[in-house]
Amino acid sequence: MEQSGSSLLEQDLAKLIVQTLKLKADPAAIEPEAALFGEGLGLDSIDALELSLAISQTYGYQLKSSDPQIKTIFSSLRALAAAIEKNRTK
Amino acid sequence: MREPPLIGPYDSNDVLAWDQRGPRTVHRFLADAASLAESLPDRPTALNLATNRYEFLVGFAAAIMRRQVTLLPQSRAPQTLLRIAGEFAGSYALTDRDDAIEGIDSISIQPRGGHAAWQGDILRIPSDQVVAVAFTSGSTGRPVPNKKTWGALTAVAQATGARLGIKAGERISVVATVPHQHMFGLEASVMLPVVHGLAMHAGRPLFPADIGSALADAAGRWILVTTPLHLRACVAEGLRMPPGGLILSATAPLSRDLAQQAERHFQAEVHEIFGFAEAGSIAERRTIDGDRWRPLESVRIEQDGPSCRVQAWYLSAPVPVPDRITVDSEGGFIVHGREADQVNVAGHRVSLGDLNHTLMQIDGVQDGVFFLPEEGAGLVTRLMAFVVAPGKTSDEIQRILRAHVDPVFMPRPLVCVPSLPRNATGKLPRESVSELARQWLEREGHDA
Repeated sequence: MEQSGSSLLEQDLAKLIVQTLKLKADPAAIEPEAALFGEGLGLDSIDALELSLAISQTYGYQLKSSDPQIKTIFSSLRALAAAIEKNRTK
Repeated sequence: MREPPLIGPYDSNDVLAWDQRGPRTVHRFLADAASLAESLPDRPTALNLATNRYEFLVGFAAAIMRRQVTLLPQSRAPQTLLRIAGEFAGSYALTDRDDAIEGIDSISIQPRGGHAAWQGDILRIPSDQVVAVAFTSGSTGRPVPNKKTWGALTAVAQATGARLGIKAGERISVVATVPHQHMFGLEASVMLPVVHGLAMHAGRPLFPADIGSALADAAGRWILVTTPLHLRACVAEGLRMPPGGLILSATAPLSRDLAQQAERHFQAEVHEIFGFAEAGSIAERRTIDGDRWRPLESVRIEQDGPSCRVQAWYLSAPVPVPDRITVDSEGGFIVHGREADQVNVAGHRVSLGDLNHTLMQIDGVQDGVFFLPEEGAGLVTRLMAFVVAPGKTSDEIQRILRAHVDPVFMPRPLVCVPSLPRNATGKLPRESVSELARQWLEREGHDA
C-alpha cells in the first residue's frame, strides 16, 4: 500500500525487523512513519537489543542509548533507516 | 537483635554512584536521602518506580528512614501498578521522571536541593524490619507479595560479596543491565555495592556499546551484573571490556559454552547466581567449573521428597524451591528444570496457567493457550498464543491482553485458530500445541 512511499533501505529494514523479531506482520505493511515501540508494533527493550545486534551485523552500525537522538532514531522505520544510512559501514 | 547499618564501609567523600552527569558522593547521598525522608507523606508503603539506580537508592533509603516499606513492581504497566496500589492501601509512588500514574499520588525523588550537611552516625536498621516487597505472579494472575527484611537483604549481599572475594576497602565499581526493581537487580546492583562500600553506575545500559562505555568509566575493578541475554549480545557484538573484571549473571541459566566464550573474550570470570523472588539469591557457581551450585553462607537446602526447601536464619519459614533440584551430600545441588507450569521469558518467571487464565477472561475468547517454543537462534524465546475467538482479530485480543499482562509475556505472535487440538479428556498435550506452532512458523517462513 505504502510501498511507493518507502525507500529500498526501508523495505529491507522492515524485512529484517519482521524476521529478527518473528513478528506476525507483512513487512510491506509496516508504515514507515508509524511508531515501532509501545503502541504501534508493540516492541520492547529486549526487541531493541535484538534489533541492534541485527543492525550491527547487517549494516555495521552500533546503536548507543547514550546517543541524544536515540528516541528519535527508534521512533519509526523511516527514522531508523535514516540513522542507518548516515552511520552504516557495510 | 542485629542492626546492620544503612550503608557499609565508605568514607564520606567516596563515590557511591556515578553516571554521565557526574559522581554522587556518600555525603551527598546521605543528605539527599535525609532531605527526601523529611518530605515523604505519612504512608505505610511506597512504589519506587525510579529508573535511575541512584535515585532509586535515595528513595529506598528515605523510605527505610521513615520505616516505610518499598514496593517493587515487576513492570511499569499501569494495570500492574494500580493492582498493587489497590492491595497496599495508602501507597504512593516515588518517581524520577514526569510520568504521573493516574490514580496513584506521586512524589518526585529529585531534585532535593538544600544540601544541608549531613551529620550524625549512619542509621542502623533492625534486622527484622520489613523494608521491601518483591512480587511474583501467583496462581490467580494476581501478583503475590514477598516481604523482604533488612536482615535478609544485607545477609545475602554479605554472603554474595564473600563468595566473590570482595575485600573490605577494595575499589570496585558495579555496572548493571538489570532493573533494580527485580529481586536479583536489587540484591546484586544495589545491596551488594551499598553493603560492601562499592561504587555503582546509576544508569542501566542496554546495548553492548552502552555497557562498554559504562565499564570504560568504571574506577578500579569492575563487576557487571547482567543476564545471559545481554551477555550473549556483548559476545556477538565483539565488545571490548577492560580486562580483569567479574561478570555476575542470573535470571536464567547460562550455557557453559557462552560462559567460556565470555571468559575468554572479556578476560573476566563469569559467575552465576541462583535465586528466586521468594528467597532471594541462594547459591553461586562459576559456570565453566560445572553444573553444581554452591549455596551461599548460612543457606541450607533440604530435600523434602521430590521437592526442596531453603532455610536461612533470615527467612521466617522454609521456602520451597520452584525448580526441580537434587541436593548432594555436601549441600550443593544440580538444577533439572522448572516445575512444569513455570516458564522463564527473558529472566522473568511466570505460570503458563496464569497466562491462560488471563487470556480466557477476555470477552469473546472461547479457548486459548500460551506456549513457549524450544529455544531458537534469537537472544530470547518469546511466548506464542493460540486463540479461538470467532469474530475477533488477533490485534483486538493483543490490545486487551496488553493491559493485563507484563509486556515481556505478550505472545509473539498471537494466532487465531478455529479450534485447539484438545484430546478426548479435554487436555491439551504439549506435543499438539508444539505441532501447531511448528506449522505456523513454517507457513510464515520463519525458522522454526
